[in-house]
Amino acid sequence: MENKILEIESLRKYYGKPENQTKALDGISFQVMSGEFLGIMGSSGSGKSTLLNCIATVITPTSGKILMQGTEIQALKGSKLANYRGQMIGYLFQNFELLDNLPGRENITIPLSLHGISQKECQKRLEQLSSYFEITDVLDKFPSQMSGGQKQRVAAARSLILNPKIVLADEPTGALDSRNAKMLMKKLSGLNQEQNTTILMVTHDCNAASYCKRILFIQDGVLFHELRRNVPEESQQQFYERILKVMAQLGGGSANVL
Amino acid sequence: MFFDLVSRNSKRSRKENGLFFASLLAAIVAFYIILSLSHQDVMLFLKEMESDAVNRLMTMIPLFYAMTLFLLFFLVYFACKFQLQRRSHEFGVYLMMGMRRSKLFLLLLAEDLKSNVTALLIGLPIAIFLSEIISLVTARLVGLGIIGHRISVSCNAILLTVIGFLAIKLAAFLILSGKIVRQEIGSLLTPAPEGTKKQLPSAIYTLSVLVGIAFLAIAYAMAIKGLSWQDVSNMALTFLLGFSGTLLLFFGLRSAMGIFAGRAGKKQRLHTFTFRQLQEYVIHRSNALAISSLLILAALCCFGCGVAIAKFYGASEPHAIDYTFSEWEDPKEVQAKLETGKLSSLFSNIFEMKVGYIRRSEDYDSAYSMDRVMSALEHLPDSEDKTVLLDNLGYADYPYLISLSGYNQLLSIADLPQIVLSDDEAAVYMDTDFTTPSRISILNQILATRPEVTIAGEPHDLTGTVQTTNLVVDRSITLSFALIVPDEVFDSLTTGDYSTYLNAVFAPEETSHKSLLTCFLDTNEKLDALGLSYESYLQNMGRQLFYVVAASYITIYLAIIFLIIANTIIGVQFLTQQQKTARRYQTLIRLGASYESLCCSANQQISWYFGIPTIIAALSSIFGTRALFTGFLSSRTQVDIPSMMVISAAMILLLCVVEWIYMTAVKRSSSHFLLSLMAPKREE
Repeated sequence: MENKILEIESLRKYYGKPENQTKALDGISFQVMSGEFLGIMGSSGSGKSTLLNCIATVITPTSGKILMQGTEIQALKGSKLANYRGQMIGYLFQNFELLDNLPGRENITIPLSLHGISQKECQKRLEQLSSYFEITDVLDKFPSQMSGGQKQRVAAARSLILNPKIVLADEPTGALDSRNAKMLMKKLSGLNQEQNTTILMVTHDCNAASYCKRILFIQDGVLFHELRRNVPEESQQQFYERILKVMAQLGGGSANVL
Repeated sequence: MFFDLVSRNSKRSRKENGLFFASLLAAIVAFYIILSLSHQDVMLFLKEMESDAVNRLMTMIPLFYAMTLFLLFFLVYFACKFQLQRRSHEFGVYLMMGMRRSKLFLLLLAEDLKSNVTALLIGLPIAIFLSEIISLVTARLVGLGIIGHRISVSCNAILLTVIGFLAIKLAAFLILSGKIVRQEIGSLLTPAPEGTKKQLPSAIYTLSVLVGIAFLAIAYAMAIKGLSWQDVSNMALTFLLGFSGTLLLFFGLRSAMGIFAGRAGKKQRLHTFTFRQLQEYVIHRSNALAISSLLILAALCCFGCGVAIAKFYGASEPHAIDYTFSEWEDPKEVQAKLETGKLSSLFSNIFEMKVGYIRRSEDYDSAYSMDRVMSALEHLPDSEDKTVLLDNLGYADYPYLISLSGYNQLLSIADLPQIVLSDDEAAVYMDTDFTTPSRISILNQILATRPEVTIAGEPHDLTGTVQTTNLVVDRSITLSFALIVPDEVFDSLTTGDYSTYLNAVFAPEETSHKSLLTCFLDTNEKLDALGLSYESYLQNMGRQLFYVVAASYITIYLAIIFLIIANTIIGVQFLTQQQKTARRYQTLIRLGASYESLCCSANQQISWYFGIPTIIAALSSIFGTRALFTGFLSSRTQVDIPSMMVISAAMILLLCVVEWIYMTAVKRSSSHFLLSLMAPKREE
């Protein structure tokens, strides 16, 4: 039996007063297994970013449970919360969120300095990650001297430096051109396949989503559909086409004809 | 609606930029205090004593006021600029929503006016209150408790404060808002990012530090040696070297910050981030930091020097006699006049002080010689004191004589032991203005051997210790070297040709029931009515007070203004930069930074950011104060430089405490800001 890394149980997030409420998430439940590459898709406003933000403890859900390896994260406070953010999850932002006054190397190692871990311990991991993401030659450059793709790969290395249990990626290809997006997705999926890294990715880019093993579709705050890639017989192209179909239903379909 | 917006915006600005608002209040207080100087108790008192000097000081006040206005204009300009730049997106939105540019201008003007009025309403009462307190405290401190306090609010000062404050605020506002209102909406909505600065090879930065230090060293050497004070071009060169040296030093400092960041003392969390932030501040704002450092330096020098000078002039000599009647008056006549005016009861003691030259010797050049004293001095180990004494005493070949009885009277009034002299003995008198305690002790050692001297060809022994009690009230009458001899010897040596000063001391019952000031003022009036010419201790007190007050008021005032400007520039700059880079802190929070570690990093940044200019200024100020002493103090007062340096050092320490208070304030407001970032926000 596979290990459960993350469990979401009837998660709700409501905005506003009862008479005029927006239900961003309305009772979502799912699980993420160790070594999974899970995609979450949905049109804008469907609640996928809210879901990710709830898991990342950026916002507090109205009700429901989020269990990370059996620990309820809403109960975390102070240093435990900080540790959770730093060591249990690795966050990959749409806009990279690199500190522009730090060179690449220091950007990658900033989580170490946040959690009081000496750089020597992670030197090997830094070397591995930078060679894997092909950023060795930009380690001493400042973000302003890097291309978008390099920036996002530096950000990816940063999110992985502390060996998190799960990587949360929020539209990681959103700010990249197609070539760089493809390269990044290949790297992420490679990590998933070779090192069994668990990744939870929110996206509305079907191309990026086709690298996932499983995709959850959200609409109006509830789970709408689930797709699983049949490995190995289904090719990425075929999976991509299945995703497109669901997206067409989501965006078009009978519900959209008003 | 419009006024609602104005009121809310101006309230928000005050809250977000409390430090700047506090500095504005301090500026108002400083304006009022300098302008109301003429209404201070001490000044009112001095006006009666030393009206010329006071009036001269008062004519300088507008100059100081104008200078302060000029300096504060820059402070207001830069602080407002940071504030408006931060709000440019908001202005863009107003314009997008259809607000007319003239209306936006009016909105900003109304906001500015509202905060100005608030600042004045809070600042002026504080200023008036503080001015009264200062008036009382200085009266107590320097006035020896003799001045009765009168509450005085200077309307003129209030008016000028309001006008000056509004004028600089309005001028800065017009320039800035003109720029903002004319900008394109697009550039308001998305302000252009700050360009990345080009990185030069690190050798250049190191070189810049070294050249900067060399320049500073040359500048201080010139100033301390006195070269700079010789002419204007030397002074200009010193200033140029000092200024460019400081700029270069700060320009090169970034390499040091880089080394610190790279070395990464990994024990501290966020060490690298802290130093990268600092490096960025230092790179982008090295000139502003250098100028702040120079301002702090100016403040430290003013303060240290002012207090030292004030202390020097304020060091009150023992006060023994209250009146001296002029030597031109016949003592008997004066006594008679006092009797007829029924004034003799005012004084408990009236005695004659006789002073005259040696008249018996025909040859003035050989009237006096003290070869034994000189040879004893020459045998001492070399020292500055020895050289000065040899030089000064070398000229003492025709000294004044003082009669023993008068001097003993003086000693008994001053509660000092009287001198006993036989006919072939003499005692040495030197005024304290011409010597120092260390030189007196050297002479005392020589006098203990009872060296023989010749007075008008007759041998005498010098005995006892050096006498220094002032002979008369008037401190402009001083004797650098004189001999005290028994009355008969005095009469015989002066052949009856001498001056007599009539000294008088208040009767204790006179001074017991009223203040010394009233005693003097009442008595002066009565003596004037009798047509007597006299000097009273009051004038001396006035003169001393004037130096103390003038030196301390002006220098402390300037020091405060400089400090306010420097600290506000540093503080406001740090806080705006922190708000600008809020995104970085948010990223760190998402990466798992705790509030404590962020605060710790920010506090470290603040400590360094304030610390660098302050420490460099404090180090420089040690030389700077020394240089000012060389320039401003006459050669006579330079004798006591070491002890003055100690006073200055203490003052510098005190000002470092002020810096620490500023730092704490900025740290608090930075922690407050970071706490606001901690709250989770939904991002689109």
